[in-house]
Amino acid sequence: MNRRNFVLGAALLTACGKSSQKIRLALNWKPEPEFGPFYAAPYRKYGLDVDILPGGAGTPTVQMVGAGSAEFGIVAADELLVARSRGNDVVALFAVFQNNPQGIMVHASRKLTSIADIFRHPGTVAMQRGLSYARLLEKMYGFDKVKIVPSPNGDVSAFLHDKNFAQQCFIASEPLIAKRLGADVQVFPISDIGFNPYTDVMATSGDVLRSKPEMAKPMVAAAREGLRIYLDDPKPTNLRMQQLNPTMPLDLFTETAEAQRPLIETEETRRNGLGSMTKERWETLIKQLKDLGDIQNAPAGEDCFRSF
Amino acid sequence: MKNPSHNRDRKGALPAALPALIPFLVITGALELAVRGGLVRAYLVPAPSSVFRAMVESRDELIQAMLTTSASALLGFLLSTVAGIGIAVFLSSSRAIQRAFYPYAVFFQTVPLIAIAPLLVIWFGYGTRTVVASAFVVSIFPVIANTLTGILSTDPALRDLFRLYGASTLVTLFKLRFPAALPQILTGLRVASGLAVIGAIVGEFIGGQGLGSVVDIARTQQRVDKVFAAVLLASVLGLALFGLINLISYVTLRRWHASEQT
Repeated sequence: MNRRNFVLGAALLTACGKSSQKIRLALNWKPEPEFGPFYAAPYRKYGLDVDILPGGAGTPTVQMVGAGSAEFGIVAADELLVARSRGNDVVALFAVFQNNPQGIMVHASRKLTSIADIFRHPGTVAMQRGLSYARLLEKMYGFDKVKIVPSPNGDVSAFLHDKNFAQQCFIASEPLIAKRLGADVQVFPISDIGFNPYTDVMATSGDVLRSKPEMAKPMVAAAREGLRIYLDDPKPTNLRMQQLNPTMPLDLFTETAEAQRPLIETEETRRNGLGSMTKERWETLIKQLKDLGDIQNAPAGEDCFRSF
Repeated sequence: MKNPSHNRDRKGALPAALPALIPFLVITGALELAVRGGLVRAYLVPAPSSVFRAMVESRDELIQAMLTTSASALLGFLLSTVAGIGIAVFLSSSRAIQRAFYPYAVFFQTVPLIAIAPLLVIWFGYGTRTVVASAFVVSIFPVIANTLTGILSTDPALRDLFRLYGASTLVTLFKLRFPAALPQILTGLRVASGLAVIGAIVGEFIGGQGLGSVVDIARTQQRVDKVFAAVLLASVLGLALFGLINLISYVTLRRWHASEQT
């Protein structure tokens, strides 16, 4: 690089730095219907310029938000509590999923009747052992009868290949894919065992709340309006997301958006507004994680989230 | 052909290790201070002391995991050594064979392991076999490439000499070409040894078990200290394998090759 180019490059970098007033929202997965509300949100109407950063398996959104490499990020409530107990000051603002969208899918031909049943019969269960609910399941039912293997992160080929294979899933995602590929699928929601953390929670850091107090409120308002828009008519947003994630067919977008609806709009949201959270639910989760030993110094329920 | 100067200066292991020890102490010391002083957040980069604490706390789990990973990495590495040298000998047998098959050997160099990972699990099942396969796939190419280069660069004068004495192809291979290629083969094995450890750990992410599984679980639980503890042990494993190859290199080459005669 010659000197002139270097100067030009430096000037460009500075310019980028100056225009980085953009607000970053980090997703923990690819653009899929679970993030529909964030793609549908009319940020400009609220004076916001938002850059959505798609993620993948294991994108550490909770650390990104804590470290300030994204102002907002999508996390799960249990993940947020663990982060807080480790000194990462992350605060929940808006919860897309009121009911836990995680489940375990099995082949219907096995005629299992409950989650407990999965662990009573020999077979393979693919799930991330580090997750709180995995340990809760182990505590409740033991893993002596089954073989626990790593989660294939959305891939269903091992499931299709083996009738005695069960795998953790997003209720509105992998089961639909497996069905399309000819499997007869049955899904048991994790909420069946009383573990029901808010999921796809938009969170920010304590730093952002203190240093830019004007930012979070319009962000939540935009997300709430986005969720309403997406629930009423997901099609335009699905078209946009499908361009960003072309491997997922459009009709699967439509189907998934429909399947996730009951997990998003509940009696509670009809009373308190879409995306709202309650102290009681946070406290229940804190108690569960404490009992599991996932968090030692339990944070106070009211510090974990902010309502706007 | 005996060379009197083969005895290395083996006096004092500590002075020899000192140059490597200094950067280690400086970096860990600086990191410890940075975390304690609040310059680096502990949930992003853990203090070396907390990594050490995690190692002590989870020692049984980590030792078990390291043994499992070592066994898989070593097995994958041995397989790629045997198969890699075998393939290279086969490729060296004629130009035509080389043209026909070498491009396929390059496949191993470029295969995106993560992309074929779910398939590995279906082909080999969850557990050791998938992990060994993964270590094998990523570590075989440097063995093939280096062995082939070594075999093909035998001194033509010596080759002529063997021909003059009417040595058979096999005799030429084992008495001349192979020994002459040894330095290059060992270079290939050095590269492959590190890759085998990486391959084993990637395999363990998919197939379960070992240090890979510890890293995966600790990451989900946001235990950066434990992640680093496991990663550190993986590096120790890589170093140990590297040291083993160096030892083999010293034993086999010290009498005749310049690289082991300092």
